[in-house]
Amino acid sequence: QKLRAGLIPQVTEGRRWLLIDAKKEVLGRLASKLAIVLMGKDKPTYSPNKDEGDICVVINAKHITYTGGWKLKNKVYYWHTGYIGHLKQIKLNHMIERDPTLPLRKAVFRMMPRNRLHRRRMLKLRVFADERHPFDDKPLVPWTMPPRNIRKPRIYVPRSIKLARRKLAEREAAAAAAAAESEGDGGTAQEGVDRPQ
Amino acid sequence: VLELAKGFRGKKVHRIARDRVAKALEHSYRDRRRKKRDFHKLWITRIGAAARLHGLGYSEFMHGLNRQKVELNRQLLANMAILDPDSFKSLADSVSSLPPLKVSLLMPFFLFF
Repeated sequence: QKLRAGLIPQVTEGRRWLLIDAKKEVLGRLASKLAIVLMGKDKPTYSPNKDEGDICVVINAKHITYTGGWKLKNKVYYWHTGYIGHLKQIKLNHMIERDPTLPLRKAVFRMMPRNRLHRRRMLKLRVFADERHPFDDKPLVPWTMPPRNIRKPRIYVPRSIKLARRKLAEREAAAAAAAAESEGDGGTAQEGVDRPQ
Repeated sequence: VLELAKGFRGKKVHRIARDRVAKALEHSYRDRRRKKRDFHKLWITRIGAAARLHGLGYSEFMHGLNRQKVELNRQLLANMAILDPDSFKSLADSVSSLPPLKVSLLMPFFLFF
């Protein structure tokens, strides 16, 4: 919808410069949020034909975490040069040696829609391996990832062990109840045993 | 037909223009329907972004509005989010101050049989 000319709302601040510290961030999760920010989709003034996302300066790219034990050695990036038979590949560890900013940049590049704004949006992403960046004169606002629910792993406990634990708990509860009775209290609290779900 | 072909790139000869104009009319027919979908999508994206600025997601926000029987449409909500962020904020606050729904766990088991 068109914004009426003359009414300049406060939400359109124009482009902000965001400083993002990538230390200990997981690659893909950071990349997806970066793609959203670069496209401008977190602003209510989003338009798909305008390039209004914020400029993201990412530092400490070489300290990004890659989860999964296999990725550093076995994740392969493929590309084809156009000549027959020239399907090239490079593994993640080699890619990090060559240029530690490349995995993040490729990840963000591939998470954004492939249209005419694709490259312009990528130009707003500047990734640096270290803490140093040449944008000290710009008004950089630090930006953190939105909080993330890290699921607790479901540990499979065999039924026999569960039963044994429950019996132990019952015995301890009975012992505690017996100890309480021997002290001469009036009423004992009856604890119902809950089935673990 | 040649009048309808104004603005076309190079196809101003009657023979060629005939086909191109037919295509253009097809497109416009189809896109008049698509336009409604596209704008709906855009409004939803904008409302979602604005709701996230207030700590809610689009789904939570709309659910809360539905619970309160607020029947504002998305076009209005999206414009409100841009031009009148204070009233949008009050809507978002009313949603986040709603008590959570209690979901009874017993009912679904009976419904499955």
